[in-house]
Amino acid sequence: MEIRTARDRAPSALESGRQERVPRVLPFFVRKIYRSKDFREGFADMLPACVGLVPFGLVCGVGAVAAGASIWGALGMSAIIFSGAAQIIAAQLLAAGAPIAVIILTCVVAGLRFLMYSAAIAPYLRPLPPRWQRALAFLLTDQAFAAAIRRFDAGANPRAGGLHFLGAGFALWLCWQITNVVGYFAGNLVPASWSMEFAVPLCFIALIAPHFKSAPQVGAGVLAGVAVVALDGLPMRLNLIAAGVVGILAGTAIDLAQARWTRR
Amino acid sequence: MDPALKLWLVILVVGALNFFSRLSFIAFFARRSMPPMLALALRYVPVAMLTALIVPMVLPGPPMVVPDVPSPKILATLVAGAVAWLTHSTLKTLVAGMIALWSLQALYAAIG
Repeated sequence: MEIRTARDRAPSALESGRQERVPRVLPFFVRKIYRSKDFREGFADMLPACVGLVPFGLVCGVGAVAAGASIWGALGMSAIIFSGAAQIIAAQLLAAGAPIAVIILTCVVAGLRFLMYSAAIAPYLRPLPPRWQRALAFLLTDQAFAAAIRRFDAGANPRAGGLHFLGAGFALWLCWQITNVVGYFAGNLVPASWSMEFAVPLCFIALIAPHFKSAPQVGAGVLAGVAVVALDGLPMRLNLIAAGVVGILAGTAIDLAQARWTRR
Repeated sequence: MDPALKLWLVILVVGALNFFSRLSFIAFFARRSMPPMLALALRYVPVAMLTALIVPMVLPGPPMVVPDVPSPKILATLVAGAVAWLTHSTLKTLVAGMIALWSLQALYAAIG
């Protein structure tokens, strides 16, 4: 009898191609990834974004101090939660003595956008083996997501794109741990008058600006921007996710209208 | 509850829920094909979601207000947007945006 495994079902793009099977033994596995050109490019591509991440990481480190966390608690937040928004919210609510259910619920609402990122990246990651999907899912952040979509849209095959994503995600994760720890010990050394927090939106702008080329994309951005202000009154910062949905619907509607127009 | 225990509970539960959010649709669509309408709509996730994150970081608040006179941050955002659109470079966008912000802040302070 033939036993079918996940590996038979999906002859993965990672293992097909050249003879370069990704070995199961960890050290070889790591060495092979480390040697790959795409992994290194992904890592290097994210270094400027890492610079932009520094102020955000510092703020999270400071937040962990305010929440009364030990250095291990602070590292646990940055390494396991790995989401600036959720960490800041958790730290603020912990410091305020909020009930644990409220903290968890608010953090999860802040992370609802990951559902959308997950859906948007899913078609590209489909050919990869499940453990790669899990690893990349863990590293799925705003920056890594936008960078990976750009790479895949530029024509990267699943194997190359996956390795690039892994390199980018690893660079961001590493930088996040370092900046959080520095923030924990020395975060208050950067004067607020430098407005370093502005580096975070700047990085996001750099990630999406190349998309602003077609009417549907511009429409999606503009409508999301208007909606996030208009819906500011919603609780738990639900205006962020609601505005995202408004922008997506606007982009889709304009896209469909355009398609109908050109068909005539 | 012991504060350290509470912190670690938050870390583990939020960490797990975040991970499952990130994995959700990647795992779901690993074996199913995606409806074409959904695939079309998802092309607008990066721009729509990141714009929704950028705007509150640029406008004064909370609560968010759109000022009558554009603040240094708003103008610096426009400069950065133009640089990003022309160069596609994160580093150049960062440098241009921060220099624009600092100069505009100095200018506004000088004008009063």
